[in-house]
Amino acid sequence: MQRITIPEILQDEWFKKGYKPPVFEEKDDTNLDDVEAVFKDSEEHHVMEKRKEEEQQPTTMNAFELISMSKGLNLENLFDAEQGFKRETRFTSKCPANEIIHKIEAAAKPLGFDVHKKNYKMRLESSKAGRKGNLNVATEIFQMAPSLHMVELRKAKGDTLEFHKFYKNLSTCLEDVVWKTEEDMKEVK
Amino acid sequence: MGCLQCKAKRLCPKRENPVKLASQTAFSVSEVEALFELFKIISSSLIDDGLISKEEFRLALFHNNKKKNIFTDRIFDLFDANKKGVIDFADFVRALNVFHPNTSQEDKINFSFRLYDMDGTGFIERQEVKEMLNALLSECEMKLSEEIIEAILDKTFMDADTNQDGKIDMQEWKSFVSRNPSLLRVMTLPYLRDITTTFPSFVFNTEVDEVATLSENTRSG
Repeated sequence: MQRITIPEILQDEWFKKGYKPPVFEEKDDTNLDDVEAVFKDSEEHHVMEKRKEEEQQPTTMNAFELISMSKGLNLENLFDAEQGFKRETRFTSKCPANEIIHKIEAAAKPLGFDVHKKNYKMRLESSKAGRKGNLNVATEIFQMAPSLHMVELRKAKGDTLEFHKFYKNLSTCLEDVVWKTEEDMKEVK
Repeated sequence: MGCLQCKAKRLCPKRENPVKLASQTAFSVSEVEALFELFKIISSSLIDDGLISKEEFRLALFHNNKKKNIFTDRIFDLFDANKKGVIDFADFVRALNVFHPNTSQEDKINFSFRLYDMDGTGFIERQEVKEMLNALLSECEMKLSEEIIEAILDKTFMDADTNQDGKIDMQEWKSFVSRNPSLLRVMTLPYLRDITTTFPSFVFNTEVDEVATLSENTRSG
């Protein structure tokens, strides 16, 4: 006779009596205004010129977006010794944007993620509940040059350690897409 | 604050009252005390004098005090409000306050503008942006051709420099940032909300209790 598993307990009638599933308060302050805006507007009539442009090309990075990646500007490093894992990561790729999207999708689905795409932004939602609710990852692709793209992955909801594990799994599947990882980029000689 | 207390804690420069600093910032008194724990770590890393030098600041951000970085140096200059060449605890708290999640967007926008206006002319010039971009690329060991760099600059200035005079003024910056909110991401540190849990040892070193606060006003400096 095997011990009952957690998923089985969650299904059991006895457990379900009077059970209120926990609501995880999202303390983390990741700014996802721009990503949220894209997904909220999906039903609305597109009026802005900019939106039309985005449908054809990923957003071109402006100089300040690049500059703000500097380790010297990211004061969270002051807290580094005490902090655990990062909530966002990025890598560059020489593949075309569409190919990057397809590869990420192909890698994320077998890991149990539902994929929502809009222009060059994606939302990856875990179908399995994690330690702090379902892991939810926002992805965006920026164009640095015609053949060079920056891919950013940010944890939108869920446990940071799980995000870290997810990214480690994802990157093994994306080996042929990734040109430089964040570790490569931040290495200071 | 009594001299006895000062000597006991090896605080050479007078430490500003945490209650006062808390009242002037978004931090609570406990949070200010927790920040002091962090400040102690950074300010004692090279020379234990209760002050953060430029090298100690670089060390804290890069784990390497030899590496010159124009951004770190610029942030240091902005933290060092009175141009002393060192950052004291009050400077530290007041500057970090700008990065608090509860601080107004306006304050963050102003700080970021001064940050990027490296030479303090009141404008962010194209040449400055080019210099910063090159610094970033060299930090990341990414090589982009001159053409691509110019293209990125062209696009940036087309977006931001609305009067097309080759430089970005404060108004243009405000407008640019409101259209691109992700540019202010570096100006908020969510970690500041959890500072008392990150540095719980502040409770052992707390100077603040009801009696102390009362007697603060009667004790002579």
